[in-house]
Amino acid sequence: MLVQMNRHIATLIVAALIVSAAGCGESLNSSFVYSEQTESLMREAQKGFPAEGEVKALLGARQLIDERFGDPQSLKAWSKLPVDFGGVTGRVVETPDSSIAIKELILEFDTDVVVEEGTPLSIQFVTGSAAKGAGGPTVVEIESWSAEKGKASLSAAMSPEAAPVAGDVVVLDGGGVLQHGRGLYMRHCSHCHGTSGDGNGPTAQYLVPRPRDYRQGVFKFTSTNDQAKISRDDLHRVLKNGIPGTYMPSFVPMLNEDDKHAVVEYVRFLAMRGEFEKKIGVELSPDFSKAAVTARIEGGESTDEIVESLREFLAEDMADSLEFVSDDLASAWTTADTEDAVIIPDISRVPDTPESRRLGRELYLSKGINCADCHGIAGKGDGPQTTIFEKNPVTQQLYDTPGLHDVWDNVNQPRNLTRGIYRGGRRPIDLFRRIHAGIKGSRMPSFKIVPHEQIWHIVNYVLSIPFEVEPGHAPVVNASAEATPQASL
Amino acid sequence: MKKFWALFFFFWPVVAIWSCWVAPARGWWFPTEAMSPLGERIDGLFYLILGIVTVVFIGTQFALGYVLWQSAVKGDDEKAEFSHGSHSLELIWTVVPSFVLVFIALYQMDVWAEFRVQSFYPNQTQEDGPRLELTARQFEWRVRYPEPGTELKNQPQPGDLYAVNEMHVATGRPVKFNLRTDDVQHAFFAPELRVKQDAVAGLIIPVWFEIPKAGDYDVVCAELCGWGHYKMRATIVAEPQRQVDEYLSNLQSEQNFDGVVTVDDEDE
Amino acid sequence: MATVSPAIESHSDDHAQGHDHHEIGFIQKYVFSTDHKVIGVQFLATTLIMLMAGGALALAVRWQLAFPWQTMPIVGKLFAGEGGQISPEFYTMLFTMHASVMIFLVIIPILAGAFGNFLIPLQIGADDMAFPVLNMLSYWFMWPAMFFFFASFVVGGVTAGPAAGWTSYPLLSALTAAAPGSGAAQTYWLLGLTFVGVSSMMGSINYMTTIINMRAPGMTLFRMPLTIWSMFITAILQAFALPVLTAAGFMLLADRTMGTCFFVPAGIIVNNAAPTVGGGQPLLWQHLFWFYSHPAVYIMLLPAMGMVSDMLSCMCRKPVFGYKPMVYSMSAIAGLGFIVWGHHMFTSGMNPALGMTFMTSTMMIALPSAIKTFNWIGTIWGGNVRFNSVMLNCSGFVAMFIVGGLSGIFMAAVPVDIYFHDTYFIVAHFHYVLFGSTLFGVFAAITFWFPKMFGRMMNDTVAKWHFVLSFIGFNGAFFPMHLLGIVGMPRRYADPYLHPYLEHLLPMNQFITCSAILMGFAQILLLGNFAYSIFFGKKCGRNPWGANGLEWSAPSPPGHGNFDVPPVCYRGPYEYSSPEAEALGQDFILQTEPPPDMKKTAETESAEATA
Repeated sequence: MLVQMNRHIATLIVAALIVSAAGCGESLNSSFVYSEQTESLMREAQKGFPAEGEVKALLGARQLIDERFGDPQSLKAWSKLPVDFGGVTGRVVETPDSSIAIKELILEFDTDVVVEEGTPLSIQFVTGSAAKGAGGPTVVEIESWSAEKGKASLSAAMSPEAAPVAGDVVVLDGGGVLQHGRGLYMRHCSHCHGTSGDGNGPTAQYLVPRPRDYRQGVFKFTSTNDQAKISRDDLHRVLKNGIPGTYMPSFVPMLNEDDKHAVVEYVRFLAMRGEFEKKIGVELSPDFSKAAVTARIEGGESTDEIVESLREFLAEDMADSLEFVSDDLASAWTTADTEDAVIIPDISRVPDTPESRRLGRELYLSKGINCADCHGIAGKGDGPQTTIFEKNPVTQQLYDTPGLHDVWDNVNQPRNLTRGIYRGGRRPIDLFRRIHAGIKGSRMPSFKIVPHEQIWHIVNYVLSIPFEVEPGHAPVVNASAEATPQASL
Repeated sequence: MKKFWALFFFFWPVVAIWSCWVAPARGWWFPTEAMSPLGERIDGLFYLILGIVTVVFIGTQFALGYVLWQSAVKGDDEKAEFSHGSHSLELIWTVVPSFVLVFIALYQMDVWAEFRVQSFYPNQTQEDGPRLELTARQFEWRVRYPEPGTELKNQPQPGDLYAVNEMHVATGRPVKFNLRTDDVQHAFFAPELRVKQDAVAGLIIPVWFEIPKAGDYDVVCAELCGWGHYKMRATIVAEPQRQVDEYLSNLQSEQNFDGVVTVDDEDE
Repeated sequence: MATVSPAIESHSDDHAQGHDHHEIGFIQKYVFSTDHKVIGVQFLATTLIMLMAGGALALAVRWQLAFPWQTMPIVGKLFAGEGGQISPEFYTMLFTMHASVMIFLVIIPILAGAFGNFLIPLQIGADDMAFPVLNMLSYWFMWPAMFFFFASFVVGGVTAGPAAGWTSYPLLSALTAAAPGSGAAQTYWLLGLTFVGVSSMMGSINYMTTIINMRAPGMTLFRMPLTIWSMFITAILQAFALPVLTAAGFMLLADRTMGTCFFVPAGIIVNNAAPTVGGGQPLLWQHLFWFYSHPAVYIMLLPAMGMVSDMLSCMCRKPVFGYKPMVYSMSAIAGLGFIVWGHHMFTSGMNPALGMTFMTSTMMIALPSAIKTFNWIGTIWGGNVRFNSVMLNCSGFVAMFIVGGLSGIFMAAVPVDIYFHDTYFIVAHFHYVLFGSTLFGVFAAITFWFPKMFGRMMNDTVAKWHFVLSFIGFNGAFFPMHLLGIVGMPRRYADPYLHPYLEHLLPMNQFITCSAILMGFAQILLLGNFAYSIFFGKKCGRNPWGANGLEWSAPSPPGHGNFDVPPVCYRGPYEYSSPEAEALGQDFILQTEPPPDMKKTAETESAEATA
């Protein structure tokens, strides 16, 4: 009794505090940040042109992104994306006379829908005219739902122009998975990976290596071939095992299977958002970045002309570009989850004999493969490449720090193979795939042209490095030493 | 008003005791009863001390309330008693508590010895040797099992099996493992088993526990290890030896997986 | 009988001649003053401000525990990481700095610095400290300490700072890479710690010298008020324990900045930094740290015990029950305090045989504490209690000390400590000792000696409200923490609710946070009352409480040189309601009041003494 009273009092006090602190932001007022590339566009290219009288509004980069992805508080489920947004799919079975505003729909769902009294429900139209509203797919709230008749009364009438017809696909309570994923992501991931998945959360600046920036759509450790994206399975695996040698921990007892699924989908969603943004930026920035505009003005164009050309571009070319960009995006991410994308060796691992390791070491040092160039002769990750100064491929400037750099512009330290820590996993197949497909985004290239048998030799050698008595010397010199049982563990 | 203040000092220990009294029913008590024999003995000691402490708490708090009350009901002009103390009282409240305290101290020596002093560890742990190595790092628990059929070495061996945040141990027998850390100080804390041991850089510390009942048990970190301290959660999976062996052989084949064998073997 | 030191004689000679003649400027009088009273008040004001700062940090910690990952009200915008949350490393810094500020900038200096300075010369009848300039320096060395502590907030960026807890265990504190963002901040923190140490050391030497050498004629050791005894014992504790911490601090500083390896074993790779070299031992720090910090717990408690004994006796109009046992038990606490440090390390992996020794000695240290508690209750027993805010705070002190002492028994028992180590049970325990006991003692002491400091009384009604709200808020905040500890909720968790066995504790933590907020806001009453009363409080005479101590024979506030005439002490400090007093028709008798038969000879005696 008293405890409950305590709770009441506590709630009261909390409520009082909240009221007194009103306006200070109780909710997670987090929002997606736009990439530097987007920010570098001229103002009109970012924000578009508002509607003026008869002229329809033209959307800028920011709106194009927001329209499809929303913000963390109200995420959008863009059906084009190969993301499991969650929700139950169904179809419109019957609509009343569509000439007037529609207040009722008869729906049919793939699975039984059980609704508890009082839970808010909404349906989203995936196909049909209602899915192509001006502000993206239409979402309507359901006021009451009768499961027997499949009858849904809508809380607001739908206009006749966007009226659904029988056969339109709808999603009930869409985005449940994504919402769940977002919640988990904000709690477990965002302080490193950032709200937008830009790898720039508050804790990120202190970590070596820095947390992954998803927005390039590039992930390092995959089981897929060198051209493919990361698969869902790979992301699951990273959540399960963590990335040894980095601050990415294992989330196993903390996230159950459903949770992991939701987080994986949300991470993919963020990655796709970033990639979409990047691609839009690529379309716009050659002509309409602030720098380009300055150059054009110097070249004699007037500001009005540039704005007019942007208007033209947005009105005429953008639709095609968007179509292309989104198709490309969807197909790339879909392919990653197909069986064809996964690297399967032609042959089983060759037996881990001293001879195989010797061969492996020869390949490791060979001119053609030349692992030692980066990883060093003894595998300590200190090859000659770690001391050179590289050029930034985008800006064509030399980096300030020596060594290899990855696509995120971080120093890309070749792995020290003597420590026995393998970030992408320690199974032979993991190492095989690392060599075969390379490490995406990093300077570890793909060696898919190397025969699989040779890759296995290298794998055998690499796995033996931590146990070498004298790293960098062991297997080559003395044939009799190889024959001792110690060497053939 | 005087009486109010005296009652005030009566009132709050009542609330305190009441809150302890209702706590177990509301889940404000041990997460579960102790799931290991040693844990049961630790709980026993806890309840013993709790009993003694409760008596002393009630005694002293009510004595405080009583002396205040006594003075509160006294008339204003009544003068205070002039006394510098009582030798015999001092003697009593020195000797009696010292006996109680010495008793508490001596009574638990053997539990401590069994938990931490290696020569008092159960014989079985001496025979078996450490079953696995648990390495804490920022911010997870890495587990290293010896290759099935071999003994655990302090240095990693080529056949070792690795897992993360999940340690499988046999039920019904004392299990010893080596606790280490890769970086800063951590502490292995299994609340249900009442086991806690710091992992100190540079030391290999043998820890043992016994779990009679199969099930999953929580492991958390109990020594500040950095910003992600609160994230270090792991599970002890206690199961019959046969299943542990099975788990290890699965782990072994998964770890040696080369991607080529039949497709349904690949569970990624 | 009276031990009269040459020092006091010669000094009082000077004083008699030069007393009213030298004029000093404002700066010298109130800022860089060598007058112990001004220094005491400076300490008090500074530490009260620090108390608020430390409290604000605590509230931020509590916010995160009650409303994890939610935007903080008001200040959230300042520390906006993404979404204005408290990021985990910011949380780590918050509790580290809360503890550091509270321990090093509040509790230690408010007891030894503020009250030690103010009371020691007054209560022993000296005109000032033995080394006034050293005394001034001990205050001014607090400023670099504060500077470094607060610099450590900012040098690591807005949301990161010293992140190894106030205990600063290596390797977290020794390796820059281990606690991200704490790079320079942790070094600054260590420097701050060193300066606090220097300040305390100066004070400690000064107090010992003053108490041994500068007592008034007739002020024998066993006529000293318990406050003086406790300050004396505290000073000795500090003198012996501090060098160890200072040395350890320098070693850690060297590990961080000069590449030594006192605490760092070889081959540790953190955050992909270069592997460490050298073969140090992290446990060494723990031993050194606790060798200081356990006695420090008593440094943070004994003076409050002493002051409470004084005040209880006065407010009950009754002698302290068992004066000598009180003195002996304080000495016993001090002595045993040096051989119990290992009980902080039961689970640390030190030699387990040591655990048994430390357990026994720790159990033994509970004994003198118990004796003191019984004596306080005995003091109230049969007294004519004045239920004013001083008395209430003192009773609060006793009640809270009982809880803090008893919960200590659980942790003294090694096997039980295995479970409770580093859970919220510990947090509850030391807050009961350090906040519940010490701060309630300090609240009482502020009210009690305020008239002597400023010549005005504090408002008793406001002070009573302050007590009640603090007391309720305090117990609401910290008593449930015992239960959290029993559930097994570890300390220093930014988000305990990630663990299923702790998930149901959220409402309880919210309750705790609300209580903490209540307690925090109650302190505004204290500050307000304090500030208001300095200027507008009721004026009072020399002895508003009817107390016995020498300080009450001096003017309020005492002028430069403290006493009108060098005081002579004729009896113990607690002769309330004695027949002698009754003969004078009052229930107190000042220590300076000569007994009737000596009244005639008193003047001649003092003449002899000064001759």
